[in-house]
Amino acid sequence: MMLRAGRRGKGDGRLSGVTAASPPQADRSPTALTVRGLRKAFGPKVAVAGIDLDIPHGCFFGLVGPNGAGKTTTLGMVTGLLRPDAGQVLVDGIEVWRDPAAAKRRIGVLPEDLRLFERLTGAELLTYNGLLRGMPPPTVEERAHELLDVLGLADAAGTLVVDYSHGMRKKIALGAALLHAPRVLFLDEPFEAIDPVSARTIRGLLERYTEGGATVVFSSHVMELVERLCDRVGIMHLGRLIAEGPTERVRAGRSLEDAFVELVGAGGTAREELGWLGTSSA
Amino acid sequence: MAGHLVRLKLALLRNGLRRSQWQQQLGLVLGALGGLPLAAGGFLLLALLPRAEPRFGPLLVQVVFVALFLGWLLFPLLSFGGDTSLDPARLVLLPLRPGELMSGLFLAGCVGIAPLCTLAALAGGVVGFAPVGPGLALAVAAVLVQFALCVVGSRALLTVLSRQLRSRRARDLGILLVSLAGLTVSLAVQVGARMAERFERQDVEALRPIGRVAGWLPPGLAARALVDAGRGRLLAATGELLLAALVVLLLGWWWWRSLDRVLTTAEPPAMARSRQAAGLVPRLVRPFLPADQRGAVAAKELRYLARHPRLRVSWLTSGLLSLALVVLVALNDWNHPALVLSALVMVFLVGQNSLNQFGWDGPAYWANAAAGADPRGDLVGRNLAAMLAGLGGTAVLAVALAAVTGGWRYVPVALFVAVGVLAVVLGVCDVVSVRFPYPVPEVTSNLWAVEGTGQGCLVGLMQMVAFAVQGALLLPVLTLVGVGVFVWRPLLAIACPVAVLYGLVLWRVGLGMGARWLRDHQPELLTALTPRRAA
Repeated sequence: MMLRAGRRGKGDGRLSGVTAASPPQADRSPTALTVRGLRKAFGPKVAVAGIDLDIPHGCFFGLVGPNGAGKTTTLGMVTGLLRPDAGQVLVDGIEVWRDPAAAKRRIGVLPEDLRLFERLTGAELLTYNGLLRGMPPPTVEERAHELLDVLGLADAAGTLVVDYSHGMRKKIALGAALLHAPRVLFLDEPFEAIDPVSARTIRGLLERYTEGGATVVFSSHVMELVERLCDRVGIMHLGRLIAEGPTERVRAGRSLEDAFVELVGAGGTAREELGWLGTSSA
Repeated sequence: MAGHLVRLKLALLRNGLRRSQWQQQLGLVLGALGGLPLAAGGFLLLALLPRAEPRFGPLLVQVVFVALFLGWLLFPLLSFGGDTSLDPARLVLLPLRPGELMSGLFLAGCVGIAPLCTLAALAGGVVGFAPVGPGLALAVAAVLVQFALCVVGSRALLTVLSRQLRSRRARDLGILLVSLAGLTVSLAVQVGARMAERFERQDVEALRPIGRVAGWLPPGLAARALVDAGRGRLLAATGELLLAALVVLLLGWWWWRSLDRVLTTAEPPAMARSRQAAGLVPRLVRPFLPADQRGAVAAKELRYLARHPRLRVSWLTSGLLSLALVVLVALNDWNHPALVLSALVMVFLVGQNSLNQFGWDGPAYWANAAAGADPRGDLVGRNLAAMLAGLGGTAVLAVALAAVTGGWRYVPVALFVAVGVLAVVLGVCDVVSVRFPYPVPEVTSNLWAVEGTGQGCLVGLMQMVAFAVQGALLLPVLTLVGVGVFVWRPLLAIACPVAVLYGLVLWRVGLGMGARWLRDHQPELLTALTPRRAA
């Protein structure tokens, strides 16, 4: 995989223990994620209508699409949390739905709606996740401490997650996803409702992370960010992947937002509609 | 504007019925059914008092009026999170002046089951006390002033405390108080009934000083105005009524000021308390828990026992019932030493919390599912926590019972058999909890909120079946213990190891079945624990 030089700055992550889990395993599996014919329907509504996808190791992959395009359903299925109706998913060469335990050891997940154990403190939540994944307690403690520090949550380490703000919840969830240094990181809307400082911290951390050979797959609505961060993008619409490839190729000389709007087929606001806007009588 | 807010309140009531789960509709119907006898009882009490008790009637009317006022102040505080029409912050974005908002909120406050029942009960006072003539108008006015006191007082207090009430801590505390209030009231009724047996008429004299104080409280003044109007002391009644009405105006002013403040000042950010970082595993149980996935799950469960408001309620209820048992034994001079073994009932009931042991995780269970950890270890961790907490509680109860009855030699028997009983219960729970889970909402806005997955009936039925299966499986152990206590004492020495062994064998069978199923169905369990989003 070619990384475009100059696109990324050095991350400001100071983590020593939480970089790449192991050397890139390109020799064993050429891709970090392979998806074939993935389908899922909820009753009559088809959420994902057959997706094929290959994401190389060390890639920063952005999955974009309008609301209801099937991004979250796709991420649920590739991380082994939502059973697909059909299709095959391989993470680091391991088939997720045949050997979920082995596949899950290699992945970290940040879910969209941040369903966390609310009545644990931030530090307890990290420890819980580490021990759940069979990590030795001293390593867990050390990494949790470091992550809390880097994510700016050291002062809130002893506060219950239920009392965290949205941004803090996102950061602690990211910490939990990174703790075991997974090979592939799946993030659903990591930059949504995040302040610029936290966004910068997270971005730095993720950039640093992919430099170590790990792969990041994330969904987002923030086109400008996807354009700036990602080597490859996939555009989803109505359950299908309507465009996928290196960002430059998908953009084809336009901004990613223009390319997105064109591909998805959404027009601008009709001038004759909502004509009363801007004529406030109050 | 006032009409608009009244319509909003009616719409909220109507939509609550239309949208909510059957449990909430049942709650509303039960509320109406509970309110009806209260309204009828209040009406009859106030209507019949003057004739039945000419001497103490006035005193009791004052007590009733004061109690009603206090009820109006307290109950909305407890149900704050559940009633969206109570929170002024919800209307903060509307371009309204406090005056407009106040009249609307006041009228909206007069709509609902509670105000209707209150008015119905107070109407009894008019029937009971009012004479024909000018006194009638004063009596009606007294009742209306009392009603206004209740509504305005309750709204003013709510508005003043609305910021504090919206905090997570206050909501947690509310849930705890509401849940335990039912139990406490029923215990208090029992104690009250016993005391009432010895109650003599002259004891009412002891209430005189309380009555004198109550008579000068605003609701007491309204009560006195009602009584005086009935007795033809019109001047005194007018004076008392004016004083009470003045209090209504003062409360209204206070409400207006607080509303103005709530609507126009920014809310300061909540300062959450940071705990001393003590690690995930509570220090007390650290020696008993392995430092791996099982230990982590057990530690998380124990933390939740102490912090999840609903779990806390269920454990505190068990604790209170245990206490009631000990008090009952002590009060009745039941000195049979084998009563120590009644602690086993408690361990059986506490074990039932595990029937939905994944439900407390709710959608947060994805963390366990995403970790790819061994489902068997997950179940063992949960069982470990239930065992530690259950045995700890049983030990305390058994020792307390032994201290009362002197049956110390039964304490070890109770503990050994408790291990067996709990193990059998947990074995069954391990199967039921993975096959029939339902989410228990973490959001603590409403104590009675249930996020069913459309299979509430099936879940309830399966839990009944599980209850019966546990009972049947425990029969051999209990028979052995029963024979040991009543027929041949040495049998108890054999019953202890047999109970433990029997329990462990059945637990392993249940654990194996649960873990096997879970290994292949983690995504399905997660889906069952994730409340469906409204489309």
